[in-house]
Amino acid sequence: MNGPTLDFSFLDATARGSMASKHVDESLDAIDGNMHECNFKAPAVEDFEGFQREVINYVKPNHGTTTLAFIFEHGIVVAVDSRASQGPYISSQTVKKVIEINPFLLGTMAGGAADCQFWQRNLGIQCRLHELENGKRITVRAASKLLANTLYSYKGKGLSMGTMVAGWDLNGPGLYYVDSEGTRLKGQRFSVGSGSLFAYGVLDQGYKWDLTVEEACELGRRAIYHATFRDAFSGGTVSVYHVGANGWTKVTGDDVGELHFSYYPATPVDDVDAHCGGEGKKEAEARAATEASAMET
Amino acid sequence: MSDGRYSFSLTTFSPSGELVQIKHALAAIGAGATSLGIKAKDGVVLATEKKVPSALVDATTVKKIALLTDEIGMTYSGMGPDFRVLTRMARKETQTYYRTYKESAPVSQLVRETATTMQEFTQQGGVRPFGVSLLVAGYDESGPSLYQVDPSGSYFAWKASAIGKNMVNAKTFLEKRYSDDIELEDAIHTAILTLKEGFDGQISAENIEIGVVGVDRKFRVLTSSEIADYLEEVE
Amino acid sequence: MSIMSYNGAAVIAMTGKDCVAIASDLRLGINQNQTAAVDYSKLHKIHDRLYLGLTGLIADQLTLAQKLKFKHDMYELRENRVMSPKVFGAVVSATLYEKRFSPYYTEPVVAGLDADGKPYITSMDLIGADASTDDFVVAGDNVESLFGVCESFYKRDLDPEALFEVISHCLTSGVNRDCLSGWGGVVTVVTKGNGTFTRTLKSRMD
Repeated sequence: MNGPTLDFSFLDATARGSMASKHVDESLDAIDGNMHECNFKAPAVEDFEGFQREVINYVKPNHGTTTLAFIFEHGIVVAVDSRASQGPYISSQTVKKVIEINPFLLGTMAGGAADCQFWQRNLGIQCRLHELENGKRITVRAASKLLANTLYSYKGKGLSMGTMVAGWDLNGPGLYYVDSEGTRLKGQRFSVGSGSLFAYGVLDQGYKWDLTVEEACELGRRAIYHATFRDAFSGGTVSVYHVGANGWTKVTGDDVGELHFSYYPATPVDDVDAHCGGEGKKEAEARAATEASAMET
Repeated sequence: MSDGRYSFSLTTFSPSGELVQIKHALAAIGAGATSLGIKAKDGVVLATEKKVPSALVDATTVKKIALLTDEIGMTYSGMGPDFRVLTRMARKETQTYYRTYKESAPVSQLVRETATTMQEFTQQGGVRPFGVSLLVAGYDESGPSLYQVDPSGSYFAWKASAIGKNMVNAKTFLEKRYSDDIELEDAIHTAILTLKEGFDGQISAENIEIGVVGVDRKFRVLTSSEIADYLEEVE
Repeated sequence: MSIMSYNGAAVIAMTGKDCVAIASDLRLGINQNQTAAVDYSKLHKIHDRLYLGLTGLIADQLTLAQKLKFKHDMYELRENRVMSPKVFGAVVSATLYEKRFSPYYTEPVVAGLDADGKPYITSMDLIGADASTDDFVVAGDNVESLFGVCESFYKRDLDPEALFEVISHCLTSGVNRDCLSGWGGVVTVVTKGNGTFTRTLKSRMD
């Protein structure tokens, strides 16, 4: 073959890097023969943490995000925004933050974009291998555990991920929160990212177990929309997915630029002077009236 | 001193409602060399007698008209040293103004600040009023203007005014000669003639001083040869 | 995090033919990410033909705006005339440099017409180094994006309506690449003969 070839040796389980071998018990390899294991070489530096702090400036994480997922009577709704930011700068408004691991599994993306994309693709490999070995689909519980184990093995190495794994298996809908600190939580409602608190506010207020699919999708959309409104680092489009017994489907993708005005058709600021320098004309008039009446009495 | 009882402090009014120290200051001015100013439609002229106490004094070093900014000049009648103090204050004020606004101070602002200082010296303890009246001439955005400031701190804009020893006669002369559409060149002539009217001795290019500002907004003290030329013209 | 981007802001000023325009976004954020208000103009009227736009920390914006308004109004009473934009710019600069070693965390933009109807705009840093230009100035936490669109869209000698269009597009497009500003905008155009008009802009609300 002519031309350059890519070096995938780091994906080769036999060619162990010094770092991975330090942290992964090699006896485990014999048990599951984990070909999916990645073996990145650790940087040859004395002070790893200092090095990490230095390079994190170059690997700018996609911190601004709002993602959410919740289980209800008819499955799971997953909704996300699409903004990627580098500091205050918006580097993209069209990021795909739902990662389609396989037709029955979805992952969401918060934190480092590259980390999320790579490790969830890696999770896809592991899930497929599981299917081939066992002749049946992996459970959400097992899939999320695979991801959590992988992330735990890299704990302290600077990965940044806050992800939800949502899917449908023989036990019905399953939803797990997994992050790069090694946390793995099973739950009914999660929201992750800088706008998560705003989304939780809407989500918790509107959630009911027996929502219809349409209502649930609207709740997810609305929660993400409100997060994009309040959170500076979230925005772009709101994507909504539904996970049912037959796998996931993408329901909608709405540009927030239009979504806002469909939720709130008329919000022009009618009296601009009212907002100049804090106290508005209306407030000033109200205060003047109060003072006038106070003087009378 | 007949009014001695009311002059131990200048902040004390006399029973007739006067601050007698200010009256005394005006008396000092009335004894001083005559100065006058005329506002023309295209400029202002200031003129003053410059008599030296002795023939041995080098008259060319005596300067009675001070520049405050490029476009404002000032002269006085009364006590020379007091004028020097006011000049320094006024110049400092013009610089402060320029450093704040990046624009030179208008005549009216400078006059008001100077007058304010003079007023403060009629109310504070431990000071005496200034023994000078000022004539301030300038050309700014609002056109040419001439102001007179007195020791009390009061000030007015004038079309033409005179202060000092020969003030009454000079004013009468100016009232007769003044017209609203007078031009700067005519005003210079009138100024010289007015000074000449009550002049004690022979008027010459060495014993008077003249400052002019025209539409070019540059206040300039005339050289003695220029004054000599004007003197010839009015002969 | 820089204190200058704690609240977020975008302000632009542009000159036209016998007119000048100044524009601000409407967002007020706290702790950077949390959008607290979406009707907060950063423009301050000094007099009929003079406007001040302030970016940076809101607390200092308000303090400085009040202080400058006070200085202007005292000048107006004292001198019986309003400040020309140039003089006001000098006052803003001097006021900022007074606090050279504990600055107001705000970068101002001054825009107005002088007595002859000639446009004047200037912007400066937080200690008053002013840089007056004859085309446009920008300020805020994302000047790179604002400069980019202004460089592309600006034309000389536009009439008031055309200038309004240009500055509006520059503002709404510029803030689309900034997390911390946007959420609508406001534009004021001061004209020589036909007074002043102010309009609000609808834009993305994320």
